[in-house]
Amino acid sequence: MSAPQINISDVASLARLTLTPEETAKFSAQLTQILGHMETLSQIATGAVPEVTPPAQPALRQDIPTPSLSIEAALSNAPAQANDLILVPRILE
Amino acid sequence: MSTPAKWEAVIGLEVHVQLLTQTKMFCGCTNHYGDAPTSHVCPVCLGLPGSLPVPNEEAIRLTLLTGLMLGCTLAPVARFDRKNYFYPDMPKNYQISQYDDPLCAGGQVPLDPFLFPKEIQDTAEAKAGRAIRLTRIHLEEDVAKSFHFEDRSGIDFNRAGTPLMEIVSEADLRTPGEAFSFLGSLRQVLLAGHVSHADMEKGQMRCDVNVSVRPISQKEFGTKVELKNLNSTSGVRRALTYEIARQIAACEKGEAIAHETRRWDDEAGATFTMRTKEKAHDYRYFPDPDLLPVRTDQGLLEAARARLPELPTVLQARLIQAFGVTAYQASVLGADRVLCAYFEKAAAQAKSKATVANWILNDFLSTQPDPATTPILPEFFGELADLVADGTINSAQAKKVFAELMANPASPREIVKRLGLAQISDASALGAYCDEAIAANPRSVEDYRAGKTNAINALKGFVMKKSQGKANPLQVDEILKAKLSA
Amino acid sequence: MSLAYETIATLRRRILSKEIHPRDILKDLFTQIDAREKTLHAYTYLNRESALADAEKADLSLPLGGIPIALKDNLNALGDPCTCASKILEGYKAPYDATAVSLLRQAGSILLGRTNMDEFAMGSSTENSALGLTRNPWDSTRIPGGSSGGSAAAVAGRIALAALGSDTGGSIRQPAALCGCVGLKPTYGRISRYGLVAFASSLDQIGPLTRTVEDSALLLSVLAGHDPRDNTTDLRPPEKFLTQKNGSVQGLRVGLPKEYFLPGMDSETESAIRSAADWFKKNGATLVDVSLPHTPTAIAVYYILATAEASANLARFDGVRYGRRATDARDVLDLYHRTRSEGFGAEVKRRIILGTFVLSQGYADAYYRQAQKVRALLRQDFEKAFTQCDLLLTPTSPEPAFPLGERTQDPLKMYLADVFTISTNLAGNGAISLPCGFTKSNLPIGLQLIGPRFGEETILRAAHAFEQAHEFFQRLPPS
Repeated sequence: MSAPQINISDVASLARLTLTPEETAKFSAQLTQILGHMETLSQIATGAVPEVTPPAQPALRQDIPTPSLSIEAALSNAPAQANDLILVPRILE
Repeated sequence: MSTPAKWEAVIGLEVHVQLLTQTKMFCGCTNHYGDAPTSHVCPVCLGLPGSLPVPNEEAIRLTLLTGLMLGCTLAPVARFDRKNYFYPDMPKNYQISQYDDPLCAGGQVPLDPFLFPKEIQDTAEAKAGRAIRLTRIHLEEDVAKSFHFEDRSGIDFNRAGTPLMEIVSEADLRTPGEAFSFLGSLRQVLLAGHVSHADMEKGQMRCDVNVSVRPISQKEFGTKVELKNLNSTSGVRRALTYEIARQIAACEKGEAIAHETRRWDDEAGATFTMRTKEKAHDYRYFPDPDLLPVRTDQGLLEAARARLPELPTVLQARLIQAFGVTAYQASVLGADRVLCAYFEKAAAQAKSKATVANWILNDFLSTQPDPATTPILPEFFGELADLVADGTINSAQAKKVFAELMANPASPREIVKRLGLAQISDASALGAYCDEAIAANPRSVEDYRAGKTNAINALKGFVMKKSQGKANPLQVDEILKAKLSA
Repeated sequence: MSLAYETIATLRRRILSKEIHPRDILKDLFTQIDAREKTLHAYTYLNRESALADAEKADLSLPLGGIPIALKDNLNALGDPCTCASKILEGYKAPYDATAVSLLRQAGSILLGRTNMDEFAMGSSTENSALGLTRNPWDSTRIPGGSSGGSAAAVAGRIALAALGSDTGGSIRQPAALCGCVGLKPTYGRISRYGLVAFASSLDQIGPLTRTVEDSALLLSVLAGHDPRDNTTDLRPPEKFLTQKNGSVQGLRVGLPKEYFLPGMDSETESAIRSAADWFKKNGATLVDVSLPHTPTAIAVYYILATAEASANLARFDGVRYGRRATDARDVLDLYHRTRSEGFGAEVKRRIILGTFVLSQGYADAYYRQAQKVRALLRQDFEKAFTQCDLLLTPTSPEPAFPLGERTQDPLKMYLADVFTISTNLAGNGAISLPCGFTKSNLPIGLQLIGPRFGEETILRAAHAFEQAHEFFQRLPPS
């Protein structure tokens, strides 16, 4: 089994990344090489792989309120805000 | 509006329910609607770098409880998965949800006949007694709330991270009426378990619909269309009615149905194509490595079981059996547990439970009371019913007492005393009235003796009037008859 | 001697005996920083004023009272930047403390500054930093290792007493080896990750870089423990480590995994490791040949799972709620694309794309799910090995520090350098790297000791015994 041809543009789009043509070409070559290295995995017989049993008592959270950030602190890093809302440009459906 | 006989609609619902927890799904921020924007936010629900989720055990218990109430299979080990996509209302650009190992699988929602739209409650469709199968119930976190302005949007992260239970039905529904009843019936179960208020108009329950049509005999499903922007149960019904008609019309013309998402516009009364996405989402689900698998068999399941309420179907059957109420009355009482508790208290000691039921469901309910705080104590109804049953007052007087009870609440015995309404049952007193009546109505006496038995009514009326309505009508009847045949 | 050259243990004793004051330590550290930092560039941020202010208020009765510690620049500390050496977090100021930082403060320590790293911890040389290169204190033309290169260079270069780092595939141990200091990656679940900017959630661990094993144990004792804010932390009760320092390795079974000793290894590295093994034998330990048969798959498994998790962990960097935002975006989609494309460096983009790919429809089974299955086999390898021995002894790095710029155009070659450290992260075990020799050109060589899960005490005792019997830890880099 040989390494698949990644459609770099499609994958980049899923990750909301725009690559330059140079980046696309470079990454394409590099990732093909990296994936080639990974081909050996398909040959490994995994058979009956032991399931990790989760701990008996999961450390869940009790439904009791804890302090939130102040509105100021929550918005302190927001690049754009108004009326205590975080602003973004138009969202096209 | 029914589907023309050639075609059949196939409908599945995906319902998202906001859970009644104090805190969010993965952090301790308060879960409360309507507060100042950005006032219930922390590194976790804001998606700050370095933050980590920790699951809310109450949300898990409520989901397990819902699964128990709906007859689902509950997973001994459940897992959380990341659902990856980008959107500004997503703090992490992945949503923590459940994919491979949800908390609940299977189950069903019985359709309450009285929760069909009123106009079709008397049809075969409503009385069919169908139960709609569920595929699964799982837990996830809600997204933030966006407000859209002309060229920008503002986002309030208060809602981000609140616990959301997703209930997916199989494509078992066949009509808009069934969808309407499904939502109402589901809501009753959720209310019974204190899982959610599930009011669609308040956004506590949201519903997406998948609908397709096919020729009646066909096994394969038609192309399904997803409908969004449904903000009420009647909206769901209207949207489905429109969309089914639209699809049938298209099929009959030989047009293909596009596999798409359409937006319901309630004002326009129609569905419209939303901007179509070129590709279906690739959510790239994988188990969330920040969250350990949840073992439900170490106490969570027991805790959920301990909270099982009386299910609506069980409650209704019991009310009919124990109190002789009608199926309709049982459904009204079942829909309001506080009222129901009130009724049961009222009817408990009363000998005439049906009378109590009628009073409460008609006269009392129309005053829009708050059964929890009303000064009209439930015992009063029983007392009143008993006063009639044991002859202290007659039914005409009871009406007067009842009116006074609603207006100036006090115990019926008090009211009877206050209004001086006690029924006259003393034989000699009644005898005197009867003599008066006979003396004053010779014509009626003659008619009665001549065989016109109805003539006694005039004499009775005379007695009731003279006695200011207090005479015991049954006794009067007896005494008059005795005197007239003497 | 400058206080900057002392260990934490020694300085604590001198503080308690009132011989010195924390401000004296800071003074000496700042002198060293002023002399060396220009060359080393280990720091991205210095808390000069606040450190001096904290020194005056320090509660000296606490376990780390008055001790300045540096943080890798991916740990949130309230009010300070947390750049992760990335442009995309320009301007971000942490509104909260990581649990580990909180614990340091509660133990009385002073935050000295923030250290350079590979962007988002992705790299083995600290050359992927958007904030400049860090240089190896032993040879400024060479890499310090990565991704905690700044922390290692600072500690080894005597411009920090100790620093916290993070280790996902070797990012504490490998720079420690290349810089000649001690680096500990605890067992997964030992130290809370709350507040550590995530790279790969199932692999990341915070750990100390120090001059000595004793200092490492001291920091581990402060930082280890269950955190209700981190669901993956273990529930066992708190422990104090290395309270007994009897220095004996008598009876210890030391495993040598054959897959870590391949022909064609760097000869100086091999020689130093073999000497170390011999020392253990001479001092009463038994050497056991063991095998970790799935070792050759580890790089592939790691680069599938780590990048998959990273692709999701880094999705939150989108210019919406914090950090850098692309200007004049037409709409939200444009905002995402430009913010992320402008804000991330090449290695980060490469890994996000790889991670997105291995999770994508049609490929997830062959890559992601298969890698998960093989990971379980790797874990099994370690469990089996630890039925035959108490510790594993291996090189940390296949070779000493290579020159800056040598591998930047060859990512795969860079990835292959992680071969000895990566499996421990995949299996979840704890491991330490400490100096065990120097090359002819005076470059440090690191010895790795891997323990069974939650076996840090065993690791620390053995490491401490080895360390104290040798003088490697005392050698100073050239001025």
